[in-house]
Amino acid sequence: MRKYETVIISDPDLQDQARTELFDKIRNVITREDGIFLYLDDWGNKKLAYEINKKLRGHYTCLTYGGTGGLVKELERNLGLNDDVMKFMTILLSTDVTAQSLAQEAKDIEDAKTASEAAAANVDDGEETEKDTGQEQAAPEAETAEPEPAEPVTSVQN
Amino acid sequence: MYKDQAQRGGGKNRFYQRRKICRFCVDNGMEIDYKNPKGLKQFITERGKIIPRRITGTCAKHQRKLSLAIKQSRQIALLPFVGRPPQ
Repeated sequence: MRKYETVIISDPDLQDQARTELFDKIRNVITREDGIFLYLDDWGNKKLAYEINKKLRGHYTCLTYGGTGGLVKELERNLGLNDDVMKFMTILLSTDVTAQSLAQEAKDIEDAKTASEAAAANVDDGEETEKDTGQEQAAPEAETAEPEPAEPVTSVQN
Repeated sequence: MYKDQAQRGGGKNRFYQRRKICRFCVDNGMEIDYKNPKGLKQFITERGKIIPRRITGTCAKHQRKLSLAIKQSRQIALLPFVGRPPQ
C-alpha cells in the first residue's frame, strides 16, 4: 500500500455545507476503493499565483490517505468531473506502508487530537476547583481507549 | 608574466569569490516543502524562474529537491509559472 497526499483547490465561493458535502463524497471514494483516510488539512481561502477558471482566489484543502494506484485514478477521475474543484495535485509520500501502520497512524492522529482538545479544555478550566480538573484528566484516558477496536476491522481487510 | 599573476589571483583587480555553501546542508531545520511557498521564493527570480545553483550555492542533492518542490508548488498555484517582470 502507498501513502498519498492530494491538494485540492475548490471554488472559494462555495457554501460551507456544499463544501462538506464535496469532501464527504471524496471520503466515500476513498473508503469505496479500500483506502485508509488519514487526515484533512484545511488551509482556507488563499490567493492564487495565477488565474484558474477566471478566479484569483481558491480554497485549499490537503487530503492525506493510504491506498493503491487504482484509488488515485478513481479519485482523480471524480475530482475532474466535479465542477466545484478547480485544480488538484496528488503526491506520493511513501511506497512501503502497510494497512496496519496506516491504521496506527490514523489512531495516533486521533489520539493527538483528543489530547490537544483535552489540554485546551484544561487550560480553559484551569482556574476552577481541583475536583473539576481531576475529572477531565480521567476523560482523555477513556477517549484513547475507544479507537482500539478499529484495528481488528482493518486487519480483516487484509 | 601578467597571465601568471592573474592565475595566482594576485594583482590589483583580483577577483575574489567567497565560497558558497548550501543553506539546506548548514541548517537541518530548513526543509524543502512545496506547501511552503515563502521558503521557496528565495530560490526563484522575480520572473518566477528557478535560480541556478551556481548562484545560490545550493548543493546538487538539495537543488534537485528544490526544483521538484518549486514545480509542484507552481502546479497548485502557490508559485507563478511566469511572474511579473522587475520594474
